Amino acid sequence: MTTKSAPSAWRDPVALLAAPAVLYLLVVYAFPLLWLFMKSLTGPGGLTIQPYVSFLSDPFNWRVVGNTLRVAAWVTVVCFVIGYPAAFALARAGAVLQAVMLVSIILPLSVGAVVKAFAWQIVLRRDGIVSQTLVGLGLWDEPQRLLFTETGLVLGAANIFLPFMILPIYSVVKLIDPRLSEAGATLGATPLYRFTHVTLPLTLPGIVSGVAFVFSMSVSMFVIPSLLIGDRFQTLATLTGRSFLLMRNEQLGSTTAVILLVLAVSIVVGSTWLARRIGGSQT
Amino acid sequence: MTSESFLDVAGAEKAFGGVTVLGGVDLQVAAGEFISLLGPSGCGKTTLLRIVAGLLAADRGTIRLDGEEIGSRPPHRRDVGVVFQNYALFPHLTVAENIAFGLKARKHPAGEIGPTVRRFLSLVHLTDFADRSVRALSGGQQQRVAVARALAVQPKLLLLDEPFSALDRKLRETMQIELRRLLRELGITAVFVTHDQDEALTMSDRIAVMNKGAIEQLAVPATIYRSPATAFVLEFVGLSSRIAGTVVGQDYDQVVVDTAYGPLRAPGSFVTGASVVLAVRPERVKVNAPGDFALVARLRDAVFQGSKVQLHFEAKDGDHLMVETADLSDGLPPPGTEMRLGWAVADTLIYPTP
Repeated sequence: MTTKSAPSAWRDPVALLAAPAVLYLLVVYAFPLLWLFMKSLTGPGGLTIQPYVSFLSDPFNWRVVGNTLRVAAWVTVVCFVIGYPAAFALARAGAVLQAVMLVSIILPLSVGAVVKAFAWQIVLRRDGIVSQTLVGLGLWDEPQRLLFTETGLVLGAANIFLPFMILPIYSVVKLIDPRLSEAGATLGATPLYRFTHVTLPLTLPGIVSGVAFVFSMSVSMFVIPSLLIGDRFQTLATLTGRSFLLMRNEQLGSTTAVILLVLAVSIVVGSTWLARRIGGSQT
Repeated sequence: MTSESFLDVAGAEKAFGGVTVLGGVDLQVAAGEFISLLGPSGCGKTTLLRIVAGLLAADRGTIRLDGEEIGSRPPHRRDVGVVFQNYALFPHLTVAENIAFGLKARKHPAGEIGPTVRRFLSLVHLTDFADRSVRALSGGQQQRVAVARALAVQPKLLLLDEPFSALDRKLRETMQIELRRLLRELGITAVFVTHDQDEALTMSDRIAVMNKGAIEQLAVPATIYRSPATAFVLEFVGLSSRIAGTVVGQDYDQVVVDTAYGPLRAPGSFVTGASVVLAVRPERVKVNAPGDFALVARLRDAVFQGSKVQLHFEAKDGDHLMVETADLSDGLPPPGTEMRLGWAVADTLIYPTP
């Protein structure tokens, strides 16, 4: 609907409501980011792209990029596999059960990642509950340590980020009319067909935001890998942290930070765009 | 009706948490017939519809459709289409995609789907809306998409759950006539759930009046209106005057009933001493007609309704006296006017006090 009387964003006074947020983000986010970006491009002799060239020519750094993306991808997958059905259970549960479930999902958010990561240190030890359970079930022959392994990191991080997958999907599922699936059934569609052609496309917006949340949080997590896997395993975020805090190398730190940002943003934006395309006429 | 009915529901029972919603309902529908399930909310009509569609499992009973037992099949293997009360259109699909949904799900050849969709689009006059989002449609258009979507897969049976309740009155009447014609042209057997008696009387071949999980009467609309089988059907369908009384005797094939307005007669036979309700449809009552009359009553209200006038009279507690008449040559009489009311004994309905 384009008419010439349609108010532009500039003339619409409602747009002014965003002014405080825009101002705030400019000061605390955009300017520091710009400073970081400039820092990465400034060498002793002025403007340079040397930091990027040397970073990308070192195979170690490629492994760091690989670590970062692999762990973030696994965390996202684990969160999705657990969170998607959980969101349905939550949305379709009775009022009391739903309240209990919501509290048990939201309350742990107030504990904080550091405390939870320490808790996972205990859980993932050789004599921890995961190891003992698996031995008890006969799946493992002897106790093993999951702490300081990639599996342990993925498990711990997925637990911490799970609410950010469940809640956006839940909010979408809640709005889907259960009669849509019934309508599909009376038209002759099997349960699987109804899921792939009705439920999945309608929950896509929730999946997109859940995946974007969890992926961008796990690609940039710093404390959790430090506590659950240690310094042997570097990601872009931990490398950035080390560069600033330990090596005092602001050039390297800002370079890795910019690369991390570009990677994260392009993957999130790209996957969102792809999902919308697959979703067809979804708006 | 043939000996083997097209749809045959036998002994359908359903209880929710110990509360019986359907108590052993039997329903036979002939091929091509349009049946209405009419009743107040909570009478079990929607439960019965959902059981036939397979969206709800009955506790007991069998459902046969076109000679096959379908009661144990999942909904997608029953060939029973449903038009939902809120239409339940797929919001992420266009009008044409909604109509094509069932054809694609049933793996119809791609070459057939396009022509079928176009045919049903034109049957419901939505050809120009094929590529619109269903969310951009008006209520009436959405209803037509829902009907076209359900019919496109050519189900054996179409169930409609109050599909007009969201439409305004004028549109509703147009859509009722249009839907009835469409179903007749396609020869579709349909079961229609409604709480609106006018809708049921207008559209149905037969009406099943339901109350408290049971069918009280199943008959053609004229019979439902003229000879309600029970006091509930009388009350639920149409208006009537109702007078309480006690049977005082039998005079050949007529019952004599003592009422607050003197003795009145009704056809039939009743035990002396039984308390009964007498009823007359309002258009059967003559006002101030020469000759015999049944009683004299004082006018309480006169309501002008265009083609007719409704007269309500003062009556004893629990009774109700009303008349519908077309000709009042002297204009509306003022309240308080005494008038003579008369009707034929044959038009008198009699029921045991509920």
